Formats: sequence, structure tokens, C-alpha cells
Amino acid sequence: MTAEGGRPPLAETHGLTKSYGGHAALDAVDLQVAEGSVYGLVGPNGSGKTTLLSILAGLRRPTSGTMRLGVARGAMALLPDTPEFEPWLTAFEVVDLARALVNPSIPRERVTDVLVEAGLRDAIDRRAGGFSRGMLQRLGVASTLVGDPALMLMDEPCSALDPMGRREVLDLVASQRGRRTVIFSSHILSDVQEVCDTVGILQRGAMRFQGPLQDLLTGNRTPGMLVRVRDSAEEVARSLATEPWVTSAVAIAVGEVRVGVRSTDEAERELPGALARAGARLVSVRPEEASLEQVFLEMTR
Amino acid sequence: MSLWRLEWLRLRRTWRGVGLLAVFVFFGLLGPLTARYIQEIIERFGGTEGVQVTFPPPVPADGMIQYLSNAQQIGLLAVIGVAAGALSFDATADIAIFLRTRVSSTARLVLTRTAVYAAAAVVAFVAGAAVAWYETWALIGLVPADRFLIGTLFGALYYVFVVAMVALAAGLVRGSLGTMVLAFAFVVVPQVTVGLVSTARPWLPGHLSSALAPLAQGTAEAGDFVRATVLTLAVIALALMAAIRLLDRREV
Repeated sequence: MTAEGGRPPLAETHGLTKSYGGHAALDAVDLQVAEGSVYGLVGPNGSGKTTLLSILAGLRRPTSGTMRLGVARGAMALLPDTPEFEPWLTAFEVVDLARALVNPSIPRERVTDVLVEAGLRDAIDRRAGGFSRGMLQRLGVASTLVGDPALMLMDEPCSALDPMGRREVLDLVASQRGRRTVIFSSHILSDVQEVCDTVGILQRGAMRFQGPLQDLLTGNRTPGMLVRVRDSAEEVARSLATEPWVTSAVAIAVGEVRVGVRSTDEAERELPGALARAGARLVSVRPEEASLEQVFLEMTR
Repeated sequence: MSLWRLEWLRLRRTWRGVGLLAVFVFFGLLGPLTARYIQEIIERFGGTEGVQVTFPPPVPADGMIQYLSNAQQIGLLAVIGVAAGALSFDATADIAIFLRTRVSSTARLVLTRTAVYAAAAVVAFVAGAAVAWYETWALIGLVPADRFLIGTLFGALYYVFVVAMVALAAGLVRGSLGTMVLAFAFVVVPQVTVGLVSTARPWLPGHLSSALAPLAQGTAEAGDFVRATVLTLAVIALALMAAIRLLDRREV
């Protein structure tokens, strides 16, 4: 079996269910993560993202269903959303411990390298007990990278980072594409849209969508056009709303109208005439670029 | 850094190791002093008007008995507290995740920590006993070295048993406090229930904790503690196997 893009799946689950009492935290989830991909796992709070990652990492057992991993447990690393370490260990000792436990043959010099890569150059010999949440997150990233895992499970890795730290982690995640497989959970959808090539949307424990990000953006959203006019946007919106191929027309800013349409093709043919009938002085027309956030909200509403 | 070094650093940097040693050495110093000067202490601080309390002259075994009576109470609590703090593997989930997703087996984690904390308890108990023995010799008289060494060995095995009970308790509950309470129950309840039956008492691990006293007095021989030693070793092995299995199956 192959995952997206014909690549073999490195991690896959079939009918994976996890119940706590009568509540299904995961409900028959079929996950397919292609080798070398950066897979974005998105969903509202409580949708089952952390549970799914925990099961993949071997920290929890599924109630039913099957799971297949194409890597040994030692070649997989999990970065929890709020990583914590023994407060009396220095950053170097934390990462060195991770190195020694995962693969002692990795040279010790690698410890300093990954700490620098994670932005902790100045805190290498400081104890983790004095670290801010952002620094702990960076330390978590460093202790994940040091073992050179084939599969990285990252649970909300940017949640505690400042904008610069977030940028660095996103660049780091994006740079892993092709080198290793990353499953990246986040509720910051712009981050997922930026770094992931494949997306899975979880809602109340069920997988609502799984596939290439582009398919999601183009195939699951009501198409729309953004129209800029010199006249009153409200009047133009009212006029366009009467057209049969228009599903919605809303003035979203001064001189700007968002026109929801049945199809982009229909809009491209009909919109110039409709604008002319409305007497609008046209500035520009362009198809609306769908964002993951918009698609996500439409799917999970 | 190995798991052994991690535990050594935990003992050193959290002051748990020093604390444990200090408790036993303190009682090692205090025990013989109390035994030697009990008459003077009572006369000066505890005397009741018109009542004369007379103690028999102290004998060397009294120094060791005083040390053991303190070690069996405060020392036991200190060992359980220190070991529970380290052996409660999953008390903080995110720290547990760091280790659990990296160690090759739960057994490695459990056995390393148990070994280090058992060793710390043994070192602390033996150090306190050695201080008590030396001071007893200086103040009262000599406890024969062979009897002291055998008694100390039995006492050391008892503290390995105590740490194994902490590991078992940590497999049953997550929090440090719960682990402490449960471990204390595992150690004490058999002693105050089954231990009341005179024929059962020589089998119990608790019988080893005070072995040094009758050995120093000359009222018991090493052979009197063989049954308790065998049972204690078996209980330690079973407790560790159960702890590994429980911690292996626990979800984080």
C-alpha cells in the first residue's frame, strides 16, 4: 500500500479507537503518513490529537484497531506540548542523556550542535529548572533531534514560543521534509499550512479529512472571488446577490466584496457581465485563495 | 550520560543522598550517647520530685539498640520518602515521557533506580551503624566485630526490601505521596499483624531490621535470621518483577 504521492506509508493505522469509559477519544481513525512527509494533524482542543500521537509513541494502548510503524521504537521521537525535564540537569546533560539512551554511538559533539541549532547556545550549561516555557520547548526540540529519529512526533511544538522561536521551529520542521517523517500537531493553522504537505483533520476523535494540503484547500471550500470596486461595496454586493450563480456576496471592506460562487468556472464567465449590470467601476477581480483556517472552520462548524 | 549517572546526580543535586546519610549518622552518634548517659539525662531533665529512677549500668549492646530504635522509625521514613521521590516514575507525566520514549525497556529504568536508592539506603544505614559501633566502643565497650558485621548485613538487606516495596508501590500509584503511604503500609502492616504470631515472626523481613541488637547482646546467632533472609530475597525479587510489569503496562 502507498500513501500520498505514491510514497510508502511510514505510519498507518486502521480503525484505531481509544475509549475512556463510554467516551471515544479516537473513533476508528485511519491514518496514513507517507515516508519523508511533513504531516499536519489539526483539530479543535479535545479532538484526539495528543491521544493519537501518544498511541503512535507507545505511551498508550488503543482500545481496538491496528497500527503499523515502518520504524523501530528507538527511531521515533515524541516532543510533548509542554516538555519538562529534571530541573537539576543542565541543558547539555538533558540532551546528552537523550543521546545516550537512544543511540550511545552518536558522538557527544552532536549534543552541542543540536543545542545551538535549537537556539540554546547561551544556555548550554544552565539548569533546566530556570528555563522559561519557550526555552523548555527548544530543549525538547534539541533532545528530539539528537537521536536523529526517522519519525518525529511533535505535539504543538510552537505553542509556547515567541515569534522568533516559532519562526525557527517552523523552518526547522520544514527543513525535515524528505530527510525524515514528521507528524506535527497544531491548532495554529497558518503554521500547518506553511510547513505541512499533508493534512489530517480530527474532530471529536474522528478523521474528517486526510490528504494533500492542496486537495483540501481547493476541493473542500466554497469557491469565492474577491472584487474591488470604486463604488459602494454594499450596493455592488446587493446587486451581485441577486445573480443565480452567486451563493453569497458580502462587503468585507471599503470597496471590497467577497463573492461566493457555485463554481469558479461559472464565476469567470458571469462575473464581468454582472458587474457591468450593477454599474460598478471595477478595480480588480481575483479568485479568493483559500486558507486552511477557512477550510477548517467550514469543515468543523 | 547513563541512567546510573542520572540517578547519582539526582541523589547529589537534590541533596537526597546527603539528607539520608545525615539522618542515619545523626542517630549513629546519638544512640550510644543516649545509652551511656541515660541516667544523667533523666536526672537532669526528666526527674520527678522525690522519685529516683535507676538504670542498670550500660552494656555495649545498648549503644546499638538505641541506634536501631531510631533508625527503624525516622530512618525508615527517610528511606521511604527519598526513594518514593525518585521511584514515582510517572508523577510528572512530561518527565516520564522523556524517559519512557527513550529507554529500551521499563525494566532498565526500574532496576537502575531501585539499585541506586537501595545502595544509598544501605550506605546510610551502614554508615550510621559504623558510627554507633565506634562510639559505643569509645563510651561503653566493644561489640564483637563479627557480630556487628553480620547484624549490619541483615539490616542492610532489610533496607533493600524497603526500597523494593517503594518500587512496587510506585507501580500501583502515580504520585509520590501515595507511593510513600502505600510503601509504608507494605513494610509496616505485615509486621504489626503477622508479626504478632510468634512462629511467623522469624520469617518476616522486619525481623532483619533489628538483627543487630540480639546479635550484639549475644542472645541470637546468624542462623536465626536465615528464614527471614530467604523470604526477604524472594519478596524483593517478586516485588521488582511486579513493579516492572505494572509500570510497563501503565499508560502515560
